[in-house]
Amino acid sequence: MRTMTAAGARKVRSRTWTTLADVMSRWAFMGPAAIILGAMLAYPIFYTVEISFSRFDLMTFSAVEWIGWENYAHVLDDYRFWSSMKVTLVYLVFALPLQIVLGFGIAFLINADWRGRGTVRALFIIPMVVAPVVAGGIWRMILDPLWGIMNWLIGLAGFAPLDWFGDPNLAMAAIVIIDTWRWTPFVVLIATAALLSLPRDIFEAAEIDGANWWSMLWSITLPLLVPIIAATFVVRWLGAVKMFDIALAATYGGPGGATNVINLFIYEEAFRSLRFAESAAMAVIVLVLTMVLTGIFLFGTRKLEERC
Amino acid sequence: MSRIHEAAGSVSRRALMAAAVSTVAMAAFGGTAARAQDGLGTPEQPIEVRMIANEAFANQWQTLMVPEFNKAYPNIKVTIDGVPYVELLAKSMLDATGPSPTYDIIIADDPWVPQLAEVGALMDLKSAEAAAWTDAGYDWDDFNAAPLAAGEWKGVQYGVPLRSNMLMMFVNKALYEKAGVPVPTPDITWEQYLAQAPKLVQDTNGDGKVDAWAIDTYFVREPLTPTIWQTIMNSNGGSLLDENGKPAFNTEIGIAALETHKKLLEFAPTGAVSHGFSESLQAFRQGLVATMFNWGSVYKGSAIDEKTTTLKPDQVGIQALPAGSGGPGAHRGIWNGTVSSKSENKQAAWTVIQWLSSKEGEAWHSANLGVFPARKSTLAAKPSVEWLGPVFVGLQQAYDAAEKGKMWRIRHPRSDAAQQILADEHSRFMAGQIGAAEALQVAADKIEKVLD
Amino acid sequence: MTAAAFDAPLRRRSRLGRKVRIAAGVFACVVFLFPVFWMVLSSFKEQRDIFTVPPTLFFTPTLETYISYMQRADISRRLINTVIVAAGSGLLSIVAGAMAGYALARIKLRGAGTIGVIILLSRGVPPIALAVPMFLVARSLGVTDMHITLILAYCTFLIPYVMWLMRGFFLALPKELEESAMIDGCSRFGAFFKIIVPISMPGLLSTMIFSMILAWEELLFALVLTNRYASTIPVAIAGIAGDTVNGANWGALTAVGTITVIPVVVFALLVQKWLIQGLADGATKG
Repeated sequence: MRTMTAAGARKVRSRTWTTLADVMSRWAFMGPAAIILGAMLAYPIFYTVEISFSRFDLMTFSAVEWIGWENYAHVLDDYRFWSSMKVTLVYLVFALPLQIVLGFGIAFLINADWRGRGTVRALFIIPMVVAPVVAGGIWRMILDPLWGIMNWLIGLAGFAPLDWFGDPNLAMAAIVIIDTWRWTPFVVLIATAALLSLPRDIFEAAEIDGANWWSMLWSITLPLLVPIIAATFVVRWLGAVKMFDIALAATYGGPGGATNVINLFIYEEAFRSLRFAESAAMAVIVLVLTMVLTGIFLFGTRKLEERC
Repeated sequence: MSRIHEAAGSVSRRALMAAAVSTVAMAAFGGTAARAQDGLGTPEQPIEVRMIANEAFANQWQTLMVPEFNKAYPNIKVTIDGVPYVELLAKSMLDATGPSPTYDIIIADDPWVPQLAEVGALMDLKSAEAAAWTDAGYDWDDFNAAPLAAGEWKGVQYGVPLRSNMLMMFVNKALYEKAGVPVPTPDITWEQYLAQAPKLVQDTNGDGKVDAWAIDTYFVREPLTPTIWQTIMNSNGGSLLDENGKPAFNTEIGIAALETHKKLLEFAPTGAVSHGFSESLQAFRQGLVATMFNWGSVYKGSAIDEKTTTLKPDQVGIQALPAGSGGPGAHRGIWNGTVSSKSENKQAAWTVIQWLSSKEGEAWHSANLGVFPARKSTLAAKPSVEWLGPVFVGLQQAYDAAEKGKMWRIRHPRSDAAQQILADEHSRFMAGQIGAAEALQVAADKIEKVLD
Repeated sequence: MTAAAFDAPLRRRSRLGRKVRIAAGVFACVVFLFPVFWMVLSSFKEQRDIFTVPPTLFFTPTLETYISYMQRADISRRLINTVIVAAGSGLLSIVAGAMAGYALARIKLRGAGTIGVIILLSRGVPPIALAVPMFLVARSLGVTDMHITLILAYCTFLIPYVMWLMRGFFLALPKELEESAMIDGCSRFGAFFKIIVPISMPGLLSTMIFSMILAWEELLFALVLTNRYASTIPVAIAGIAGDTVNGANWGALTAVGTITVIPVVVFALLVQKWLIQGLADGATKG
């Protein structure tokens, strides 16, 4: 009896242990990321939320007095905030789909099996590597109506030069062009990797079944790519929402406020005007909106993934 | 004292004198030794002073100015960290408000002194403490009033001018001659200038296409662009704020000045509406524009340095901006040397900027690095290089104009916030999104709230 | 050489189609590289030759901008700092991020999905709002101006990206892979590192290149968190562009721009071989 009980207990304990070890090993995958991000982000986010509801004291860089929604009221009352939101929306609506479609399209093109493929892939990342300040400057040089090569070429073709950075619509177009030039390579990079890692046997089987390349693209490749296309979109979306360096370098947010995207405005309010509380209030608003929209995208992704 | 008097009775006058001299010498020597240990370092224990400065000149100072300074003060090691201009204020603020700041010396742009002083980051350079460390020969009265005032806030002197600058008018004389227009004199008015401008938009090589324009300057959305408008307004007797510190620019003079700034675009190169400091500089250096309103310090790179400019020294004139009803225009931009109020090396820090702003340091600075001086004596002396001669004449004219018309940005702890609002509304007007009156009305309302 | 799977039918269909495809791909590459070509060209010009009308194609090239800027101590020190920080944060984020991505894609873990989404959503905070409080924390801990501070700060935005991208890659893998491995007696870790990692090499390496590039060019955190000893190249570039004494020196900017591009391109080219190698290995094992 006694020995049996002991054995039973051992068994139970070892089962608990195994379950525990199993749970531990599962969590160990999530652990490092969660710990680093928790440690690094918890306070900064708390701080931002706190000062957004407070009077900010520059002498100590801290909140001194709880003033409720006052900073938010200031921000919502400022037409510049609303116009920045509008500008950001326009930029996102044009830039994001363009980059995703161009990126996957080009990835499909350069993934053709030939000797130079690796080199082309590697060269394609260069636009991403050029520092935003330099990228903005090079494009200014290229697009400048006076000494830019683009307008020189347009001029050779007999057209009047375009004032890329003087006209509000063209300035936005210039920002979209520069941003697309910089970030399409990211989509290409991820997309080529995704195409490379598709399992070959499925295609071989389909080929034996006599499927043509279009139906294979449509019914095998794209469904397999859905998670990665969605992930690329979400990553690009989160990056694009925060874009301000290109606008700063190429148009200074002008003319008027035509390219003053919301993150540029937040940056200027904090770092130039030293209005950290108002800037924090805007940051919180942007955070909430981004969370809601990202949530919608993730929900859509889930639906797509389930369907495929 | 009484003991000396007693002694005087018994010892000879000569012996007494000798004793007194040696006592003084001892005191002086002892004092210096003690001071060296606290404040200025010894060869064994040098003092390290750290400075935060604009990246644009930090490297030049580190490699050229610091060695020169060390000839006079070998035991103070100066390390200069450069930060890009647009982030320098925020970065200085973040550091200076900490319990033990990294930087002993903060190089602050013209409108930043009130902002830094208000948070208690700066030391009073005329306090008793600082006065004890100030050289007897350091002549405060020798500074021009306008640049010295940049380092002052609420009656306290927090900074001294280290790199003085003024918004000035650059003239490409060759393009004036080509157009058959007389080269501007220092007393040219806005009416005369604008009357000449259309003739300066010209085709210089006869191919039927306009290839030279009258003007380039700041038009883009950026905080320094409104300074051009402000200069036009100031020279016509307008001002940014009234004596109660409320916005006073929303007047007919202000509106007319804004219209004038926009009118300049008609005589400026294609695309100039997105031009600022660098772009107008490039256009001028390429010989594309007859005049440029820009900071005087760019003279060397625009007229002398062959690597950066296509122009020759005798081709380039420099003077104050055209005159309005109140006289010629200028706008002040002074880099101030300030000492952190929490620094542990205040004496050494003050010694560094004291040396650089002294007669001797300033003369070296302008002769060797082409930096503009703030002292009357340096400006009046014969410059070491020939090209500085006409530049100094123009600079003195600009100092006087700035002093007379209070031609500087808003002096207030939230000066940069106000300047950003001006930049935003100014840019909307330039882009044709709103009218001049509306732009100034919106700016005035917003600025009144910010300064409140 | 491995072929992208769905190339096979296309290749069979027409040789011409493939040639057109390659030509179009190369053309796209040339278009995207033109501004880079312009940058490199400008870096060999004197400043006065950069802004001419019409643009100058023939000029006396000068190496002077390179020499004068490389001699400036802060450029080479900052280049080394940039390499350290980019490599450090790239590696740390790929390890932590890939594991988290795997947890999200493959491991049934109550609450992990929520944590994953929270991690991703944290990316919605504008970076400016994070930079200041991070500086305040670093200052109170006395760790400003250190590489590790910058590396950890970069990980906050790299890990969520890596995690989400790798989740996408892992989801595309057949489930049977690690199931069979675990039946064979591999632990969960063993299955991940021995089976999943090798076969996900293209995705892992591409994602790592992406995160290193993000760290390589990051300006705002570098500006706020460093002063001197850990200062990076983007800070130097911002300084040259915002030169308030002589105007933006585009000769120097394009030269420094070119210098910063070279190491990354070389790295990407090297990794390219390894990538295909890794894929081949993974394929045989899988």
